Amino acid sequence: MAPSLPNFSAARMRSYVFRLPLFTRAMILVIVLLWIASYMVDVKQWGALIPKEIGIRGDDTVYRTNTFPLVHAGFFHMFMNLLALTPLLERFEAEYGTLTTLALFFGPLSTIPALLYTFIERGLLGMNTAVLGARYERFCGNIKGMDADKEDSIWVFTLIAMEAVKTYKSNPYFMLGTTQIPTWITPFVMVLFVSFLIPNTSFLGHVCGLLFGYGWGLGYLKFLAPPDWALRWIEGKLNLLGRLPHYVSVDQKTYGRYGVLPTTNPTLAPAGDGIALGYMASDVLLRRNPLLLKLPPYLSFLCVVIGVAWLLLLPLDDYSRKTYISENALLPGQVHTYFAGSDQNVFRGYKHEINALEEKSNIEVNDKLEEFFKASGLKVARQSYEYKSAGETYKGENIYAILHAPRGDATEAIVLVGAWRNIEGKLNRSGVALVLTLARYFKRWSLWSKDIIFLVTADSKAGPQAWVDAYHDTHQTPAIASLPLKSGALQGAVVIDYPFDHRFESIHIVYDGINGQLPNLDLLNTVVSIASGQMGIGVSLQQMWHHTDNYKDRLKTMLRGMMNQGLGHASGPHSSFIPYHVDAITLQPFGEGWQDEMAMGRVIESTFRSLNNLLEHLHQSFFFYLLMQANRFVSIGTYLPSAMLVAINFTIMAIFLWVKSGAVEEDTTKTASTIESGEKKQLVLVQERDAKALVPEEVLTVRERELFLPLAVVAGSQFLGVLPLYTFNHLPQSMLPSTFILFTLLAPLLPLLLSSTLTTYFSPTSQQHTLIKTFSLLLLGLFLSSLATLNFSLAFLIGLLSSPLTYITPLPHRPIIKGLLAVIMGLVAPTTVVLAGTWYWGLELGEVLKEAAFGWDVWGMNTQVVVWCVWWPAWVVGGILLFGRPREEEEEVEEVKS
Amino acid sequence: MRQLQSLLFILGFFFSGQTTASDYHEQLLLRPLHPSLLLASFNFQSNTTWASFEQQNFRYFPRSLGQILQHANTRELHLRFSLGRWDAESWGARPWGGAREGGTGVELWAWVEAETDEEADGRWLTLTNALSGLFCASLNFIDSTRTTRPVMSFQPSGGHNDSTLENLHLLHGTLPREVVCTENLTPFLKLLPCKGKAGISSLLDGHKLFDASWQSMSIDVRPICAEGETECQLQITQTIDMVLDLQRSKRPRDNPIPRPVANEELKCDTSKPYNSHDTCFPLDTAAQEEGWSLSQIFGHSLKGSCPLATDGADPVCINVPHARHVFTSAGAHEHKDPNGYLRCFELSPDGEFDLTLPDQDITEKAPLEQPLLYAERSFIGYGQESGGVQAILTNPSPTESVDFVYMESLPWFMKLYLHTLKAKINGKDKPVIQEMYYRPALDRKRGTQLEVRILIPANSTVVLTYDFEKAILRYTEYPPDANRGFDIAPAVITIGNVSIRTTSLLLPLPTPDFSMPYNVIILTSTVMALSFGFVFNLLVRRFVAVDEADQWDLRAVRLKIAAAGKRILGRFGSGKGKVENIKKVQ
Repeated sequence: MAPSLPNFSAARMRSYVFRLPLFTRAMILVIVLLWIASYMVDVKQWGALIPKEIGIRGDDTVYRTNTFPLVHAGFFHMFMNLLALTPLLERFEAEYGTLTTLALFFGPLSTIPALLYTFIERGLLGMNTAVLGARYERFCGNIKGMDADKEDSIWVFTLIAMEAVKTYKSNPYFMLGTTQIPTWITPFVMVLFVSFLIPNTSFLGHVCGLLFGYGWGLGYLKFLAPPDWALRWIEGKLNLLGRLPHYVSVDQKTYGRYGVLPTTNPTLAPAGDGIALGYMASDVLLRRNPLLLKLPPYLSFLCVVIGVAWLLLLPLDDYSRKTYISENALLPGQVHTYFAGSDQNVFRGYKHEINALEEKSNIEVNDKLEEFFKASGLKVARQSYEYKSAGETYKGENIYAILHAPRGDATEAIVLVGAWRNIEGKLNRSGVALVLTLARYFKRWSLWSKDIIFLVTADSKAGPQAWVDAYHDTHQTPAIASLPLKSGALQGAVVIDYPFDHRFESIHIVYDGINGQLPNLDLLNTVVSIASGQMGIGVSLQQMWHHTDNYKDRLKTMLRGMMNQGLGHASGPHSSFIPYHVDAITLQPFGEGWQDEMAMGRVIESTFRSLNNLLEHLHQSFFFYLLMQANRFVSIGTYLPSAMLVAINFTIMAIFLWVKSGAVEEDTTKTASTIESGEKKQLVLVQERDAKALVPEEVLTVRERELFLPLAVVAGSQFLGVLPLYTFNHLPQSMLPSTFILFTLLAPLLPLLLSSTLTTYFSPTSQQHTLIKTFSLLLLGLFLSSLATLNFSLAFLIGLLSSPLTYITPLPHRPIIKGLLAVIMGLVAPTTVVLAGTWYWGLELGEVLKEAAFGWDVWGMNTQVVVWCVWWPAWVVGGILLFGRPREEEEEVEEVKS
Repeated sequence: MRQLQSLLFILGFFFSGQTTASDYHEQLLLRPLHPSLLLASFNFQSNTTWASFEQQNFRYFPRSLGQILQHANTRELHLRFSLGRWDAESWGARPWGGAREGGTGVELWAWVEAETDEEADGRWLTLTNALSGLFCASLNFIDSTRTTRPVMSFQPSGGHNDSTLENLHLLHGTLPREVVCTENLTPFLKLLPCKGKAGISSLLDGHKLFDASWQSMSIDVRPICAEGETECQLQITQTIDMVLDLQRSKRPRDNPIPRPVANEELKCDTSKPYNSHDTCFPLDTAAQEEGWSLSQIFGHSLKGSCPLATDGADPVCINVPHARHVFTSAGAHEHKDPNGYLRCFELSPDGEFDLTLPDQDITEKAPLEQPLLYAERSFIGYGQESGGVQAILTNPSPTESVDFVYMESLPWFMKLYLHTLKAKINGKDKPVIQEMYYRPALDRKRGTQLEVRILIPANSTVVLTYDFEKAILRYTEYPPDANRGFDIAPAVITIGNVSIRTTSLLLPLPTPDFSMPYNVIILTSTVMALSFGFVFNLLVRRFVAVDEADQWDLRAVRLKIAAAGKRILGRFGSGKGKVENIKKVQ
């Protein structure tokens, strides 16, 4: 059928109207007349269907079950209803004849849905909502106990349902994308839409109408129609055909005036002794389709490949986007900056003071800083903290000063942080001097709408965390002191990390938060546009000091970003702010150039002026993104599929293995001999609606799955993960590297040991092995796909590194392949990956482990949980499988025989 | 304490002339605060007899306000417009003991005479709406959810008849989000007899007032019935208090940007070894009194005294040590308070008045009065579901204990858990709560009202904490800037006649993504269009079997051409046919 647009011509319309059959015309007339009458008398009260007024014993209000569809409250709704009803009614009448239609429409077609509605509404729900054919109107005051009368178009929906069933018979599905949607659903979807979009419609009434329509369409209610012979007799006696114009005779009725497509007759004859596989789309049969059963391993491999390829495509222009400012209030770079001139002399003065304090203790430094802040007229407070992690104590004292917004009320605040020592432990000499100078400078302005907090933390790792925790009162007292002075809700934080004396070339922005959380992209965009647009200072990310904007550099930036995100550690003092939904970044000047400290100060001034403009918390732009250049990014919608595909690979395999584990084992030789000898297989009649098919019995039988052992093994190895998690977070620092090496060496033995224990004591069957793998992969897929929404990079990296686990099966008879796989397993073991990463980036293993433990204790980092409780158990189960020796089924049989 | 004495000294002037039937006073008190700030307190007060008020015979009492009060049966009214926060640690006790200030935004409380609560509510509605129009403020948004009826915190200040006292209803409402600005100042000044044209009110200028670090405008109307007298009076007091930053105020209006000063003007600490032409450690100028003059601070000098202020009180006073040099313009007479730090100036009725204090190195400073209580309130916790409030109340006095009432009026969507209300004194759980009045919130109808009477022993700190849950609002209930959060009115702390207000709070609520409805509309429209198209198609399209359909292949074209040819041929032979037909009929 070539699709053609319905060309709507006035002539066709006219002929259509003139050909309207009798009953339809009569209905239109009645509805219009009633509408006109409604202006004179209260027709609604007469005709509305009010559940309470319908007496069980059939008193005089029963007429309402017939009259309600005719009554409308307003012109608009009457018109709309007519428009909807006429074509449907006309079709119905043309198909069944005028007499039948008349009988039906004043009989069961209105009454049954109405009674159904009354029954449900009154009997089950206990409400009393009046139903008209028409829209809600305020006359309910007259009728006692009536909530509101609702629009109801029961006829329309009944008829639509009939049409839909008819359509369904000829055209069972329509495709939306790749999904098949049965056509009979459409009216129901429409009911839902109508009930959601149009106020005061009676959802229940519509559903009742629909139910009847479906019933009719499917032929269950055909008995309600008056018998043909009776109609014919009436027709003949009264000579209706001759007397009435536009009358549709009972005999004249066609299968729809428009003709009906030849409906496929779905009844299939049982195909002898062969296997009848009709067009029936039974999932039972699909499940056993040999072609489909071969597919999943390839499919899951394809998922991984596409996932990786997807990620590699992201840096291309077509897939990444240019950044833009979402929040209009920020107006980055729209203000003049005045931080220059004699303030530079002051800056130099402060820097001399800072340099003099280099060797002093934390308390002495803070005494001096307090003096400086107080001289600038700010309120100063201090906070001491003490953390213990990996046997070490991290102690210090933060100092901060609050500049009260001149006309503000301590409701909001922005933070300027200069850690005394930066993340590398260098003295942040220019940074702290800049904070002091800016504090003095900002004090002069009266335009601040938010308080500004100048925070100098003792270090870059523990200090900021202690301060932010205490600010939100989630700190551990008394090790971390409470803040004596507070301001309002933090709206943003900027960290200066400027540890050298000389001029700089560009600014390096660090934005990764703890656990891979990121600040709002608007904050980053603001700084980028101020630095590069207003000040002419270049911006770089992820230590890409020279970015040439080619594919390679973009990819490199993105991968470095993913690595930082995946590790989930704090990359600067700003990281601690982000978990509290305070957007924060660190600015690090770098290189040798001609930009001086005042330029850096102006960048901060302009950034603060932008943040000061904010009316609302930063919320407009993205929180999930991957940056590949200072002004190029991909958002979550674009990048997420890659990690999801990698995670789904496990789920696909898990489902496949589950199905496979239930299949009855087929001996290939046996099958061949059966076919040869012509032995009949046991056939079973499968029926799905009208379709019937004979299928071999074994296809339908599901083998009993022995679940206990597999579940116990998977659960056990999941719990085993707690062991390294606890060990590596609680050992003292000195013991960490040696323990880790020992663990790395011993870890491969664990699966071997477990597997031989299992074989010796439980001798699991190959089905149980399959099930072990199923559950392990299912869990892995589940964890990784949920993790992908929280920390994309971590989910992607772990998914990729554990993808070999999808293909590990027990190989007792192939020692070479087994050995090869064992080597691969050894390479992708979490411990090996940690060691390899440490070696590749030239780090000390002890330092890495110490930082991990510190992250766990102080930052609330949860990368370890993912590694030890998601990745490592999956790997252990993989090992168990690889070394597993499934019990031979024949042996078992023989044993039983003997 | 000396500060209070000097205040009483001033008040003495006012109350001495109280008995006269109708009079007007005004006074400006200047008090330098540390560091380089100036507190300017303007006070305007007029009296009218109750009889003339009833007869609508207004002289100094503003007619516009008087008629509103009469219409709304309001016996006592207190209206506050405030901005900024008072820094009690540096600035000491609040002016007027905090009695003339309100929380951030607008605060209004009044005693309305009515028979029933409903009637009182109706009159309160009338009052707020009328005042809203009069003061260009959103006072009409003080609805039932923002109105409370405090029980312990406020007492009627004036002398009410015992008969009326029974029928008085106290209603209190706040608008913490209201930004006070010039549109509120203009109607305020219009209520004054001299209307900002002469006298101390001529100094008031929106640019300066609203650039202040803290400012408060107040209107109090109260009846005064002296004992033993039958004739009562109605008193209206208007005050404006502001804390000006001297450096900021001295900047010329055409150049308000705080550009860096020239290198030569930079005050450097020359004792530092590295001090040079390009390196400077800024000198702490705290010891030095900065010079200023009235005309510098307020933009222009005082335009003579208000001729209506006839009680003889000196209109301008300044609270500085006697050692501080103060120069005035000609025609003004100085009166020094012999035992205090106060000096007042009598102005000439015409001719401008200016006050100049030069730069001076002086260690003596007018002492600050210590506040009775330090109060700080902040949110604790994080996240979108729940939170907590922590109020830290410190009694600085080494000897005296303080008994006060702490009042919170919270919006309904901040659901307070009363069982979590805890007061810790110096870190220990001790029963310090003496008395409590609590009125729980009703969703969308009224807010929570909590009044707690607490006794703090000398030199102790009480930390009052409670938890609350954040309600999820309907999407129409969010303001346009939904992600900003909701302002929570300051807590009111009442210690006898002294009152203190904490800062307001910004409560972030779970906020829906408001771009989502937009997406939903787009999606729904698409689906609607699709389903409509589907149904429309069903209704209008002809369904025919494949073999019945017109096929456009070569054969079909041939047949069509053949048919067309036949038709043309038929036309030629049509005449014949017709004739035949006719014949047949016949």
